[in-house]
Amino acid sequence: MNKGYLCLVLHSHLPFVRHPEHENFLEEDWLYEAMTETYIPLLWVYEKLVEDGIDFRVTMSLTPTLISMLTDPLLQERYSRHINKLIELSHKEIERTTWQPDFQKLAIMYLNHFNKARDTFEKHNRNLVSAFKILQDLGKLEIITCGATHGYFPLMEPHRESVRAQIQVAANHYEKHLGRRPRGIWLPECGFMPGHDELLKEAGIKYFFTDSHGVLHGTPRPKYGVFAPVYCRNSGVACFGRDLESSKQVWSSIEGYPGDYNYREFYRDIGFDLEFDYIKPYIHPDGVRINTGIKYYRITGPGGEKQPYVPEWAREQAASHAGNFLFNRQRQVEFLYDFMHKKPLIVSPYDAELYGHWWFEGPQWLDFLIRKTACDQDTVRMITPSEYLEENRRNQVITPSMSSWGYKGYSEMWLQGSNDWIYRHLHAAADRMTELARSHPEGTNGIVKRALNQALRELLLAQSSDWAFILGTGTHTSYAVRRTKDHLLRFNRLYEEIKSHSIDGEWLSDIESKDNLFPEIDYRVHQ
Amino acid sequence: MLRKIKEKIKKIAAAGKKRPAKVKSSVRSVIKAPSLRRKAKPSARKAPEEALQKETVMGVHEMAVERSKFSHPETFKPRKQMPQELPGGYGQDKIVLQVRDPWWLHCFWEVAGDTWNNLINRLKELFFSAKRVLRVYDVSNINFNGKNAHRYFDVEVAQEASSWYLDTGNPGRSWVVDYGLKLPNGEFITIVRSNVVSTPIDGPSWMTDEEWMVPEEMFGKLYGMGFGLGQATSMGKGWQDRFKKALFSGILSSPGITSAGSPVRKKPKERGFWLVVDCELIVYGATEPDADVSVQGRKIKLRPDGTFTMRYSLPDGKQVIPVKAVSADKIEERIITPIVGRETKISNTVDQELAAQFYKNE
Repeated sequence: MNKGYLCLVLHSHLPFVRHPEHENFLEEDWLYEAMTETYIPLLWVYEKLVEDGIDFRVTMSLTPTLISMLTDPLLQERYSRHINKLIELSHKEIERTTWQPDFQKLAIMYLNHFNKARDTFEKHNRNLVSAFKILQDLGKLEIITCGATHGYFPLMEPHRESVRAQIQVAANHYEKHLGRRPRGIWLPECGFMPGHDELLKEAGIKYFFTDSHGVLHGTPRPKYGVFAPVYCRNSGVACFGRDLESSKQVWSSIEGYPGDYNYREFYRDIGFDLEFDYIKPYIHPDGVRINTGIKYYRITGPGGEKQPYVPEWAREQAASHAGNFLFNRQRQVEFLYDFMHKKPLIVSPYDAELYGHWWFEGPQWLDFLIRKTACDQDTVRMITPSEYLEENRRNQVITPSMSSWGYKGYSEMWLQGSNDWIYRHLHAAADRMTELARSHPEGTNGIVKRALNQALRELLLAQSSDWAFILGTGTHTSYAVRRTKDHLLRFNRLYEEIKSHSIDGEWLSDIESKDNLFPEIDYRVHQ
Repeated sequence: MLRKIKEKIKKIAAAGKKRPAKVKSSVRSVIKAPSLRRKAKPSARKAPEEALQKETVMGVHEMAVERSKFSHPETFKPRKQMPQELPGGYGQDKIVLQVRDPWWLHCFWEVAGDTWNNLINRLKELFFSAKRVLRVYDVSNINFNGKNAHRYFDVEVAQEASSWYLDTGNPGRSWVVDYGLKLPNGEFITIVRSNVVSTPIDGPSWMTDEEWMVPEEMFGKLYGMGFGLGQATSMGKGWQDRFKKALFSGILSSPGITSAGSPVRKKPKERGFWLVVDCELIVYGATEPDADVSVQGRKIKLRPDGTFTMRYSLPDGKQVIPVKAVSADKIEERIITPIVGRETKISNTVDQELAAQFYKNE
């Protein structure tokens, strides 16, 4: 009989980056890298577990922008090109490293990885979303949604219409791709503001997550801390608070697993290490060096000197770290069970891209953790939020506190000197979008309807928290500036043209073909 | 802030190093470009000191991982025709108030030209002696009508300012902000009034639920555990303040203040000079296009014209590289065997005089 539950949550997100107007577009690589290093390797883990008859539960968000990209034929075609180039490069690497067996072994490992990734991609008809859906339909994965474009909700206030639109568009998009309404949502950046739960309820969403202090600073005091969900006053939507102890073990740069010296070093990539003429065909056509994904070194130690990666050692370490994580959860659950006289729920959310992309061995670790949890013990049981709520219907009612999982726990990451200029324009656009939606009731058709729908798409895209985030980090900001401005300028032009009954059909078609996500969108949700 | 600027300078300096010496030797061995990234991007997990300082602040690791998703160098080049700029304003009278955290608010505003003209017409020369002021009202738990605030405070802002960060010093309250003019006689004229916002509390609530009563001791322990501070959390008076310090340290000060005022002793400057050299060997040749060719016993593929090129990373030591070609009819065989050796010597010197001067200036 188990004494508590573990709810693993992987948040998978990338902003919408799709540039048909350019043959090669660097930022599109964000998607290709995440596919090769995270999404496909996670699929391997899940599919193998199913094949081996291991029962498991993982909650995973697929953001609407990510789903849009993963199902887009142009990006699928470009991924195919991308992975084929990597395969070609791996072959060259195997030859080049003939006299360095330590490296050649790794080149062969990468070749196998890329070949297998291509096979998986093709096996699922290039549509990874359908691959994840199969796992959801099997009851192993619970896929949750997110804000339509990952807009940071607390800073949309006081324009709650925008929050509503982010949620409604996401829920409808989810239904279209996954065949049912979403039960849960990962609030973008875990950003919660009291009252937004009511908008979730409108969309039929049953639960969301906050960071620890979202629940711990809720009113009245939550009796079980973050170790049981609460219902929000007024809406009755359930809120699950993050457990920071389990989070830190994985996230932390000091105590965290990913920093182990046997693991692969993220920052040593042959895209930067190798001679220019040789690597040129595999980096950006302008000659800008980028990550290729082929990395030969292990973290080794704190200094700059790096030793070759040894996959067997890393795998051993991943198994040991998984054992350590499970051991700690068992102790945590046993303690809490005695202390609370109730089965505690440990909620451990992570960015999915941590697994595989940043922490190369992450998928292996997850695989070991799931297998050990299923086979080696009975104390901890993996569960999804839906299952937990099904089994535990009586929960305390509180008002969670405003919070996020960003730097310092609130909104500063997205609201500081380097990015606060965007809000003046975002809020003006939100005002205008509401005005448009209210002045064009049901029955609006033809080009006006198309323009209204596109206006909402452009507003949503401008709202992506990723732009503010990149501006906030202060490096490589020009793309984020450009995206913010482009979408706002397109929105403003659409607004003017709609108001003056002078819609430029040719231009509209052009931006529809570029910002082509959410074909089912209905502008009237923004009010 | 200082640290951020320093990091930025470091990065710029590192970026400047992106063209290392590239030497081609006449024996067709190529000196490999060094690891350009080595210095350019210190990883979060490799900066223990900095990480230690930040370790307890919420969200640090999440940010590092999220950042890694966007790890690309600058490549965007402005298009020939730059997009038009965003408008400077939207021709309306408006102020929007936002919550940054339990203590700080942010507001931005716009006042239309007509509104300014009306004010000038109304106030005449008084207008020009008036100060631009943000009046911050505490409107917690009331229906604010402009006169019934619990209290208010004024913040004078620059004439050209159109946004401001406000330190309320008081979490868990509701606020409204007016932007207006303060006349020399103290009279305040509201130009625009903001929306109402509520800031979160900065610790656990004092309210408990009868049905879900939780003893102070038990809650304190669960609270510490939820924040990952372990089961051994000692309780007693002041536990909430201790948590606050541990978890949200730095949150009270704006980003400009934190590091500039740090009492940490200045570290001697680390010199970032470096050199990486590696070698590759290119073995190339030609034969009849239909011949069978092997290098070190491994069969290789010829180009349609019968030429071939092999490229190897060349480690220290001797390489014996037999290249064998067999004619298509198997009658003839040719073997040519280059023998190549590499030996690497390393020498590091420092000009003591210049170095002494350098560190003195530091």
